[in-house]
Amino acid sequence: MRFITMDVTKCVVCRNCEYACSFRQAGDFDRDHSNIRVEYYDDVKICLPQTCMHCDNAWCLEICPAAAIIRNETTGAIEIISERCVGCEMCILACPFGNIHFDKINLVSRKCNLCEGEPNCVSFCISGALQYIEAENSYKNNRIIFQRFIDKLSQNNNK
Amino acid sequence: MAKKEIIEHYTSLCRMCDNRCGINVYVENGRIIDITGLREHKWNHGRICVKGRLGVDQVNAPDRILKPLKRVGSRWEEIDLEQAYDEIAVKIKKLQATWGKRAMSIWKGEALGFLTQEELARRFTHAIGSPNYFSNDSQCYVGRWIGYALVTGNWATQDFINTRCAVIWGSNPPYSQPNLTQAILGAKEKGAKIIVIDIRLSAIARQADEFVQILPGTDGALALGIARQLIEDDNISHKFISGYTHGFEEYAEYVAAFTPDRVEKETGIPADTVVHIAREIGNRRPKISIYAGNGLEHHENGINNIRAIACLDGLLGNLDELGGNFIAEKPDLRSLTLYREKPLRHLQPIGADRFPVLYDFRKECHTMTGMDTILTGKPYPLKGMILSGGNPALTNPNSRKVVKALKALELFVVRELFMTETAKLADYVLPAASYLEHSELHFHPIHQIIGISRQIVTFENCDYDYIFYKKLAARMGVEKYFPWKDSEELTRWMLQDTGITIDDLLAHPEGLEYKPRRYQKYKDNDLLSTPSGKFEFVSDYLKNYGYSYLPEYIPPTYITRPNPEYPYVLSTGARKVFYTHGRNRNFKCCKTAIPNPDIEIHPIDAKNLGVSTGDIVTVTSTVGSVDIPVKVVHSSHILPGVTQITHGWKESNVNLVTHDDRNDPIDGFPLLKSVEIKIKPKVDTSDI
Repeated sequence: MRFITMDVTKCVVCRNCEYACSFRQAGDFDRDHSNIRVEYYDDVKICLPQTCMHCDNAWCLEICPAAAIIRNETTGAIEIISERCVGCEMCILACPFGNIHFDKINLVSRKCNLCEGEPNCVSFCISGALQYIEAENSYKNNRIIFQRFIDKLSQNNNK
Repeated sequence: MAKKEIIEHYTSLCRMCDNRCGINVYVENGRIIDITGLREHKWNHGRICVKGRLGVDQVNAPDRILKPLKRVGSRWEEIDLEQAYDEIAVKIKKLQATWGKRAMSIWKGEALGFLTQEELARRFTHAIGSPNYFSNDSQCYVGRWIGYALVTGNWATQDFINTRCAVIWGSNPPYSQPNLTQAILGAKEKGAKIIVIDIRLSAIARQADEFVQILPGTDGALALGIARQLIEDDNISHKFISGYTHGFEEYAEYVAAFTPDRVEKETGIPADTVVHIAREIGNRRPKISIYAGNGLEHHENGINNIRAIACLDGLLGNLDELGGNFIAEKPDLRSLTLYREKPLRHLQPIGADRFPVLYDFRKECHTMTGMDTILTGKPYPLKGMILSGGNPALTNPNSRKVVKALKALELFVVRELFMTETAKLADYVLPAASYLEHSELHFHPIHQIIGISRQIVTFENCDYDYIFYKKLAARMGVEKYFPWKDSEELTRWMLQDTGITIDDLLAHPEGLEYKPRRYQKYKDNDLLSTPSGKFEFVSDYLKNYGYSYLPEYIPPTYITRPNPEYPYVLSTGARKVFYTHGRNRNFKCCKTAIPNPDIEIHPIDAKNLGVSTGDIVTVTSTVGSVDIPVKVVHSSHILPGVTQITHGWKESNVNLVTHDDRNDPIDGFPLLKSVEIKIKPKVDTSDI
C-alpha cells in the first residue's frame, strides 16, 4: 500500500493541492470541495497540510452506521460510497484528525480516496511536500518529517 | 477501458508561464481534455501547477476569438481572414509610404509563444524596414538581464539543486516559477540554507531559514552592506578576485561606507541581521545560488541595485560553479533576427536615444517612450502597430495614457485568444493560435536541455505566428525573409547547426541534453562576455554613457523626498498562483478561488484608515486613482506603510496609478514597486 506523506518543512501553502483536489471533485477551484487542506499558521510560522491517513483501524469506517465507508482493496484507501452515505456525520465526529468534511449540497460526507491510486494533490504539489510512496518508506519518511517539524517548532519558539 | 483507447496522448511543454514544464496532453475526438505533468521531464518531474492545467480551459474557452474581426465605427464585423490580411497589408504599405518605414511597429506579448515567436517578431519588423520592435521585455526580465550582464556578461542560472545556500531576492517562485520550488526545497532537504529577501512574507518565505523583510527599493544598500561584511570578515574568494575581476579596489572602497548601521537606516533591516546573513552566505562559499527577482527591477535605482547584487558573485566566487550561479551554454540554434543583415539603428529605434543600454544589450524599443511618440509624433510619427498576445492596456504603466495612445494609432492590429482590454482598442482583431496549436523550440538552461512543444490541435482561422508573418510578408513584398513552408521547416532550419533533428527531440520528451555542463568556463579560453572579458565590479561602458561607474546606491524618492500628501508606498505585481500577468482572469475556476483584486495593507494602517477587509478604498498617486477592496494581512506579511496590489485586473487596474515617466536612468524600466500613494476609504453612498 502507498500513502501520501506531507513534509511540513517543504509546504509553502500555495494551495495547488487544494485547487487540484477541488477540481477533481467538483470541476472548480473551490476550497470547500477539497479533501486536502493546507494552512499557514502565522503565529508559529508553520505550514500544515492535512489529509486522510487511511488508518489501519479507521474509526470512521467502524462507526459508520450505513456501512458506507469501506477499504479499497487495490489502493488501500478508506473510501466513502456516496450512494450509501446517509449524511449522519458520525464519521466526521469520529475522525481524530478532522480529515472528513460535509458536502452541504449533496448532504454526504466527503474524504480523500487517493484518486484510484494517482492522487491529484501530489501531481500538483510543486514544492515536493506531498509524496505518494510505499507504506514501508512512508513510515520512515514520516518519522524524518515529524522530527523536522519538531525541530522547526522549537526553532521558531526560540526566535 | 474502451473509452481510453480513443484518447490520444502527446508529450509537449507548457506555456502558461515561462517555466515550460513537461506535460502530457490528452485528446479525445479532436478536443484536448486533460493536461498532466510529464514524469520523465528533467525540470518538473511529473508535477505541474493548476495554472498548467488551465491550458485545457484556455484552448477550449467558449469566449475564444475564432473569427477575424474588423472595427466598423463602434461595432465589430466579421471578416474573411485572407481579406483581413489583404486590407492590413495595404494599410501598412500606405502608412509606411506616407509616414516612413519606421512609422510601423510590432509588439510581442507573452500569451502565445516564446523564443521563436520573439525572433519572428523581430525578423518581420526589420523585414518591413522598421527598427521598432516592442515587447513586454522593456519592463520585465530584461532589467535583471542587463544588471547582471553589465557585471558578468550574462545572467547566470541558479543551480539550486546542488546549492548549499539559496538566496531568493524579490521573487516568489511558488507562484511565478512554480517548479523552481521543488529545486529550492530539495536543496533545503539536503541541508542548504534558504534566505528570502522580500518586502512581503511570500509563499517561499514561509519555508525560509531566514526571511529578511526589506523596505521597497532599498535592496542595493543591503547588497553593498553584505559585500562590506564579506570583505571585512575576509570571507571572499581571493583567487577569483585577483584572477578574473575588474575594479575590485574601487568597489571595495565604495562599499566600505555601507556599515550594518547605515544599512539598517536605509533598508529597515536590523544591523545584526545584515551581519548574520552575510556570514550565512559567505560561510557556504562557493555553492551559493542567488536569484534576483522581478521585485528588483521596477525602481528608479533598479539596475544599480541589481548590479550590487550581481557583484556579490565576484566576492563569493560562486559564478559558473556547481551549486552556484551557473553560466549555461546555449544550443547553437540559427538566429532568425536580421540585426546583422539589416541593422536599422540609424533609423532611431524608439527609446534607443533615451535608453541606449536597453537597445545595446537587448535591441528592445522602449514601450513607454513609444506611447509618448504615438501621442506627440516626436521624434517622428509612429502610426501603426501589430501586437500579438499582449495586454499593455492593463500591464503597462499609466494605463490611461496607453489606452489614449493605442486608440490614436492609424492602424492597430491585435492577434489574441481573447477580447482583452487591449484588443478592444484595435482596428482588426485576428484569432491567434495558443501554445497547443503550434510547434516551437524551448530550452532549459540549467539542465542544458532542449525540447519541442507540439501542434496538437488546430482551429480554423487561428494562424500561428510563423504563418501570420509569412502570409503578411508575401503581401508586403518581403516574402524572401520567410521562405520556409511551415514551422516544421523553420524549426529544421534553426536546428541545422546543432546536429539535433526534430525526431531526436520528439524521441526525448524529457529534454535532450545539447551540451554537457562545464563549470568555471572563464578559466579556459571563454572569457566572460563583458567589455574587459572580466567580472566587472565597475563598468567603463556605463561611465562612457555618463552613468554610474560603480553600482551606486541611490535611495528611493519616497524615502529621500517624502510627500506628506502621499504617505503610503505601493508595490505592484506580486504574483498569484493562477495568473500570468493579465491572463486567465476569464476562467471560472480562478474567479471562484480569487473573486476580486485587493490592496494588501498592514493591520496598523487599516486601523489608522478605519478600514477592514472587504472595504473599498480609493488609491491615488500623482498619476491617477483606482478603487479597490482592502485585504488586511497578518502583521508579519507586510511592513506598516507598505502596500501591494497585483496587476492585471481590469476591475481595479493598478496601472492607473503607476508611473510611465519615472524610469531607471539606465534601462528605462518604470517605477512600479515604490509608488507614493494616498488611501481614502470610499464612502458608501448606496445606503444614504
